Amino acid sequence: MNQSEKNSTSANRATSNRIGFLFVLVVILLLVVILNLSLGSVRIPLREIVRVLFGQPGVKESWVFIISNYRLPKIITAIAAGMALSASGLQMQTMFRNPLADPFILGINSGASLGVAIAIMGASLATGLFIPTLSVGGDLGLIGAASLGAAFVMALILLVGKRVQNPTTLLILGLMFGHATGALVSLLVYFSAPEKVKAYSIWSFGSFSGVTWQQLQVLIPVVIFGLGILAFLPKGLNALLLGEDYAKTMGLNVSRLRVLVLISSSVLSGAITAFCGPIGFIGVAVPHIARNLFKTSNHKLLIPAVILIGAIVAVMADLIAQMPGSQFVLPINVVTSLFGAPFVLWIVLKRKQGAASFSV
Amino acid sequence: MKELLLNTHQLEIGYLNGKPSRRIVGSGLNLTLHQGELVCLVGPNGAGKSTLLRTLTGLLPALGGEVYISGRKLEEYPRKELANEISVVLTSPIQVGAMTVRELVAMGRFPFTGLFDRMSEKDWNIVDQSLKMVGLEGFEERMVHKLSDGERQKVMIARALAQEPRLLVLDEPTAYLDLPGRVVVMSLLHDLAYGHDKAVLTSTHDLDLALRHADRIWLMDEHGVIRQGAPEDLVLNGSFAETFNRRGVNFDPSSGTFETQSPASVPVFLEGQGPEFIWTKRALRRAGFCVEKDETPGTVAIKVITREEKLQWQVEFENQVNIFSSIYDLINHLKSQSTH
Repeated sequence: MNQSEKNSTSANRATSNRIGFLFVLVVILLLVVILNLSLGSVRIPLREIVRVLFGQPGVKESWVFIISNYRLPKIITAIAAGMALSASGLQMQTMFRNPLADPFILGINSGASLGVAIAIMGASLATGLFIPTLSVGGDLGLIGAASLGAAFVMALILLVGKRVQNPTTLLILGLMFGHATGALVSLLVYFSAPEKVKAYSIWSFGSFSGVTWQQLQVLIPVVIFGLGILAFLPKGLNALLLGEDYAKTMGLNVSRLRVLVLISSSVLSGAITAFCGPIGFIGVAVPHIARNLFKTSNHKLLIPAVILIGAIVAVMADLIAQMPGSQFVLPINVVTSLFGAPFVLWIVLKRKQGAASFSV
Repeated sequence: MKELLLNTHQLEIGYLNGKPSRRIVGSGLNLTLHQGELVCLVGPNGAGKSTLLRTLTGLLPALGGEVYISGRKLEEYPRKELANEISVVLTSPIQVGAMTVRELVAMGRFPFTGLFDRMSEKDWNIVDQSLKMVGLEGFEERMVHKLSDGERQKVMIARALAQEPRLLVLDEPTAYLDLPGRVVVMSLLHDLAYGHDKAVLTSTHDLDLALRHADRIWLMDEHGVIRQGAPEDLVLNGSFAETFNRRGVNFDPSSGTFETQSPASVPVFLEGQGPEFIWTKRALRRAGFCVEKDETPGTVAIKVITREEKLQWQVEFENQVNIFSSIYDLINHLKSQSTH
């Protein structure tokens, strides 16, 4: 066996190990999905779930209703949200070269919130200009508003980020953008009718359960579009790990990549924020979980890993939010923040001990 | 003469700060670089070495004049084709996180793999060859962030080689390395130029190494003027001295190093041979003594002697003789004498 054959087989072995690991993640995802279908305020046995899923008759009607109209769309939404938010966070961490970058921390979610606030409440201010309804057109309007808001803040950050290289400065800028948009939202709340304000604040708690089958027909294609763009980016994102100068001398069109990342991550986070509310911490935490598990920063592997882990985390967060056995349902943001905040703190403290920003 | 890979015509470099104001770092530069040649770009801090390298590699637009790569204007190159001609190694340490040496070097194949970065058997062979050229066989599966600074810099050179460029441009590749690491990297660059027929252009602060290894030196002064020539030519025609001399520091053409000059130097006489003589002389200079060639009455006379296979320094002054067993003790004695 010559040198190069030996090398490529050892490389192949490493790759197949990692693909096996991805397969394990798929299995875990299936398990948490089944668990989530079964648990809740009403416990439904596994055998009955299978029968409902395969359309077999003879299951209690209320259970069929719960599964097909409530739990199934909710889980699909959770999976889409987990995938979208973590994929968006990963892209941004690489592009900003900052381990704490995510749609939430950089104020991009605040931009989406502002978009939604304007869509819900601004209409009553500028009467007759724009009245959102719950039809598909209204959903697209909401997604559009959230995505526009997200893209606006992200473009601002990119613009400033070109001049400011220091990641900490960027984070502070993101925080300030968040405060500024927050102030605008407060202004809208102050002048809006109470029922509009309530609609907005319920949205801002975050939830996977308000999304209907009809709305999913809008959400899923948008998420597939955002992830579809990302599918073409691993090569460029890997080059960007070396820094922009290296990437340019390797022949990468850096500004085109920036634009694609901008579109993909703001569409992904904007769409999820529009339908589920601003959901924190999944975007920042999941890429780190993936880097830790797979011991790599190679995006060819990180992207599928992040997408799968993101789905698992979101479905699990929803499971916890349901508080199985009780009648209470927690806002999803409460769960992701309670678990996510200490995790992010841990990332920061670990970095203080001298670890490089993207290391495991 | 081998093929001309890079030349510039009346090149003007610097930064555009908005439309009206621009900071010109250097102008009227007519430079040439040939295949199989190691060129070191040296000059004082702030002379604009990085600006020049960034302009030559297309990372920064030229303010005026032209850069030609293999006879074709730099700005006419599509990005990917330029990547086939030039690859770079930059000063700042990279932070790629968890990545194996092989994965990082494979990034050098970026211009050749398709949209989805599929590596062919040929691509992997080139990666292996590049690692071999920098002497990192067996490092393939090591993680980049666990390597030493010197090893990591070699990995970055291997990555640049995997890009199969005709011209390799390095910006202070030895900046973060210890002295042996610097020597290794510089002789590696020399080998790449001689053994593999690359053109290599590197900036460095290591004048000593540049003088030893470079075929040609681009000597850049504080005004952005560049003088080109073999290192020896530049030493002999006084260019080095002109560029680097400042108050208290002189370039010594006979040793090729910088000497500090103490303002009030006390003359001493030194007798001895070989390395002992040279190092004693250095220590004396540092302590503010100037070494005279002839023994004159009234000055301190120092002799380096060997007694019972041990080095000793004998100091004779005003009929008093002292013997020391180390340069350190000798210098301390002389200092205390001169203060009285």
